[in-house]
Amino acid sequence: MLLELRNVSKTFRQGSFAVEAVKHFTIGIAHRECLALVGESGSGKSTIANMILGVTAPTSGEIVLDGAVLRARRRLQDRRRMQLVQQNPLSALNPKRTVGASLRLALDVHGIGERAQRRERIARLLEEVGLSPDLSARYPAALSGGQRQRVAIARARACGSDLIVLDEPTSALDVIVQARILKLLNTLRVCQGLTYLFITHDLAVVRNIADRVAVLSRGELVEAGATEEIFRRPRHPYTRTLIAASPVVTEDEKEFRDRVRRQDLSDDFA
Amino acid sequence: MTGDTLDIRNLRLAFSDHTGSIEVLHGISLRIAPEERVALVGESGSGKSVTARAVLGLLDRTGGASVSGTIRFEGRDLAGLGAERLRQLRGTRISMIFQDPVSSLNPVFRIVTQFREVLRRVDPGIRNLEAKIKAEEILREVSITEPRRVLESFPFQLSGGMNQRVMIAMALANEPSLLIADEPGTALDVTVQDQTLRLMQRLVEKRKAAVFFISHNLGIVREFSDRLYVIYRGRIVEEGPTGTIFGDPRHPYTRALLAAVPRITRRGIPDVEDDQAAFLAPRVVHEPRPSAR
Repeated sequence: MLLELRNVSKTFRQGSFAVEAVKHFTIGIAHRECLALVGESGSGKSTIANMILGVTAPTSGEIVLDGAVLRARRRLQDRRRMQLVQQNPLSALNPKRTVGASLRLALDVHGIGERAQRRERIARLLEEVGLSPDLSARYPAALSGGQRQRVAIARARACGSDLIVLDEPTSALDVIVQARILKLLNTLRVCQGLTYLFITHDLAVVRNIADRVAVLSRGELVEAGATEEIFRRPRHPYTRTLIAASPVVTEDEKEFRDRVRRQDLSDDFA
Repeated sequence: MTGDTLDIRNLRLAFSDHTGSIEVLHGISLRIAPEERVALVGESGSGKSVTARAVLGLLDRTGGASVSGTIRFEGRDLAGLGAERLRQLRGTRISMIFQDPVSSLNPVFRIVTQFREVLRRVDPGIRNLEAKIKAEEILREVSITEPRRVLESFPFQLSGGMNQRVMIAMALANEPSLLIADEPGTALDVTVQDQTLRLMQRLVEKRKAAVFFISHNLGIVREFSDRLYVIYRGRIVEEGPTGTIFGDPRHPYTRALLAAVPRITRRGIPDVEDDQAAFLAPRVVHEPRPSAR
C-alpha cells in the first residue's frame, strides 16, 4: 500500500458544539491505483483529503505512507510525495503570477533542480499536460478553463509527487473539456506511474476512471470495492440511491438505473 | 399566427464598449408552445443564460447591449412593451428560477415576507393571513411537510434543497404561463437535485405552465424536456424532439457533446473530437414541431 488510513476520525468542535465529520475511516490506496471517494456534500470527502495532505490533523487514528506513520506536522520530503488538484483552477492559481512563475514557485519550495534548468523543466511539465511551453508567459485569466486545470495538474507534478489528490477536478468544466482532462489524467497515471485519490460526486466519472470506489455517507464508509463490482452489485442502500439519482444520456444507462431503482439486481450487469 | 407561449425570432445580441462591438447571439430562433417543456442546452459561454435574460428584459441596455430580432410572449412583442409593462409580466405571467437558490432569496427577510411579496404582485390587496394560508398550500405541493416552520425561517436556516423548493413554489405561485429555469438544481447534490426537479415537474404540470429549461447537463435535459435546442457559440446548431436528438444526433457539435458524457455503464474515456470548424456546420432541424399537447 502506498497510503493507508487506519481508523481515522475527525471531530470539529466549537464551544459545546461538535461535529463528527469523519468516523473511524479505514482504507488503503495501492501504488498506481485510482481510488474514487464518492459522497454528497457534507459526507466528509474533503476532510479526508485535508487529513491526507496534512492540512488538518485527525482527531484519532493514523495515516501511513509507505509503511511509516506520518507526523501531524509533515516533513518536506513527505509533503513532496503528495499534491492536490482542486475543483476550481481559477481560484487555485495565483492570478498575479504567470503560469511559468507558478510552476517555478512549486520547484523553488521543494528546491528542485538547478536554476539554469528551470526553464527547461517548466517547458517539460507543460508539455506533459498537453500545453505549449509558450503559455508560461500567460496569466491564468488569459487561459481557458481546461488550460487552467492542466496548469494546476502540471504544478501538482512539479515536485515529482506520486500521489495526487484530485478534489472534483472536472466538476467546474464543460463536458467536452472534462472528457479531455479525464483522458489526460488517465494517460499521466499510466505513463508516469501515478496514484490518484479521486474525489467526486459524479458516479459516471467514477465508472470511467476509477479502479476502486469508496462510498461515504455522513462521515462513514458505507461501501467499498472494485468499481466493476460496485456497479454490478451495489449493496448498500445509499450507493443504490446515488446510482438511482444519476442523470443518464443513453437507453442502456436508463435501463441499468431503472433496475437499480427497482432493486432488481438478480442478474449481473456487464 | 401561432399560439406559441414564446416565439423568439432571429435574436441577435451584441455588447459594445469603446474598443468596439462583439456579437454573442447570432440570430437565435426558438419557440415554446403552451405547456411545452423546451430545453436550451450548451456549454459555458454559448449564450444560453443571456438568451433567458433577453426574454426577461433583464439585459442592461445602458451597459452597451444591443438587441435585434423579435421576442413574442403570448403574441405580444416584448420589445414594444416598455420597461414598466415588462416588469409587470415578470413574476406574474413569466417567472424564473435560478441555479443558486440561496442567492436568489433575500437573506434578511423571513420566507413568509418574501412569499407575500410574490403573491401581492397579482393580488395587491391580499391580507397577511390569506397570503400565509396560500403560501402554506403551495409549499405542501412541493412536499414541504412543515410549511409553517419553513415560512417562519430565514433562508440560511434551510438547506439548499429546501430553499430551491421554496423558490419553485414562489415561481409557480402566480400561475405563470412560462417558467424560465436557468440551471435549476445544479448547485445541489444529485439525490436532492433529482427529487427537486421531479417536484418542479409535478407543479409545472399541475399549473399548466410551459418551461424554458436552460442547462449544460444533458442527462437532466433528457429527462425533463420534450424538445431541445442545442446552442454553440451563439448559434442554434440542432433542434428537435428530445428523444430524437438523443437517439440520432446529427450535428457534429451535438455528437461531440453526447460522446463526451461519461457513461455509468461503461469504463474508459471516449475520444472526443474538438473540431471547432465542424461545430460551425449549418443547423440541423429534426422534423416539424409537434403540435402542443
